Amino acid sequence: MKVIRGAVDEMWSVMEQMVGSIFRHGLPLTDKIAARTALTNFVLHIHPVRVRRSWIRMSYTLCLGGLSFFLFIVLTVTGLYLMFYYVPSINHAYQDMRDLQFVVTFGGLIRNMHRWAAHAMVITVWLHMARVFLTGSYKKPREFNWGVGTLLLLITLLLSFTGYLLPWDQLSIWAVTVGTNMAKYAPIAGPYTRYLMLGGHAVGDATLLRFYVMHVVGLPLIGFLLMVVHFWRVRKDGFSGGL
Amino acid sequence: MATEARDRIAARDRVEARRRQVDAPSTLRDDSDDEMIVSFPEFVFKEFIAMVAMTVFLVLVSIFLQAPLLGQANPGVTPNPSKAPWYFLGLQELLSRFPPLMAGVAFPTFVIVLMILVPFLDRNPSRRPSERKVAIILFALYMAIVVALVIIGTFFRGHEFIWNWSWVLGNPQTCGGKSC
Repeated sequence: MKVIRGAVDEMWSVMEQMVGSIFRHGLPLTDKIAARTALTNFVLHIHPVRVRRSWIRMSYTLCLGGLSFFLFIVLTVTGLYLMFYYVPSINHAYQDMRDLQFVVTFGGLIRNMHRWAAHAMVITVWLHMARVFLTGSYKKPREFNWGVGTLLLLITLLLSFTGYLLPWDQLSIWAVTVGTNMAKYAPIAGPYTRYLMLGGHAVGDATLLRFYVMHVVGLPLIGFLLMVVHFWRVRKDGFSGGL
Repeated sequence: MATEARDRIAARDRVEARRRQVDAPSTLRDDSDDEMIVSFPEFVFKEFIAMVAMTVFLVLVSIFLQAPLLGQANPGVTPNPSKAPWYFLGLQELLSRFPPLMAGVAFPTFVIVLMILVPFLDRNPSRRPSERKVAIILFALYMAIVVALVIIGTFFRGHEFIWNWSWVLGNPQTCGGKSC
């Protein structure tokens, strides 16, 4: 009996050590424990440990920056799922989209989520910019972070635009034809820029591959790095807070 | 000598007072907007609620609203009208009204550069809306123009991108005389 009891006790303490090695401070029952948790937890470290209540009022931030970041994560996760079934070649792309919609388990739902989340992200990023402008939060010392934010808005638009071609249906090929035709009009660099984007003179196989690579690797990587800088600067420059 | 000692005692008292403030039990808090609180769990919880709400919203929309998928891409058949994605329809609308060099290149570049420079152009240090009427009016005007152009491009441009008073939806109407 004593042996069993000893063994159970030992196992219990091992369990406690396991949990304690991940979550060091237990439940945040007092401010002190909560502060220590926020200070030492990797996921929580993008937040300041202490904030003024006016900084995080939902009627002030509307949570728009956070929601934009969350939508980026949703898009990454749903996008990974779509990548399992999608081949960026004009012989496969459209059929893969049909399969995603009608054959693949949850394919239609995930594709819809990816599509609507992309539209939602364009909207939340725009509104986040509007909120930051209207509260004057771009003013000293946050001038630089406003610039980074502008670039993030551009990246969001480009991500959305590159993704638009991938279904390879009549909507996407002609939307991208119209979009890339705009680049043509730039003086001197215009035609070259368009050739660089399309990988040829018209939207084709090379374009699909280029847009795909930029959509799933290039732009998300640039966007992620800019986001890291953006969030870091929010911490260092401080929340703008109430008016 | 005495002054120095008094200063040291005063400094120690100040530190002690500050420490007492931090350790104050929650019942003594003022609960005002100015109050310092620990970001975890209150702030984190708010974000969590926003994330859950967004997820529920996305799943519901995705169940009931199908993402569009027309016929396979065909470089030989042009849909009419051919439209860019909705967030670029403002630009396409400008392109239909102004010379391409202006609407397609000069204008967007100018807007992007202007936006990045906004914090350096706006010399007014105040953040109160009542003290920055000009900035807010200009920005509202800019947003209104963008939204109006997108709405026009999306809903009021039909066949051949010609003005159409009935609400035309973004999808092309016909592809070479047939439905797409």
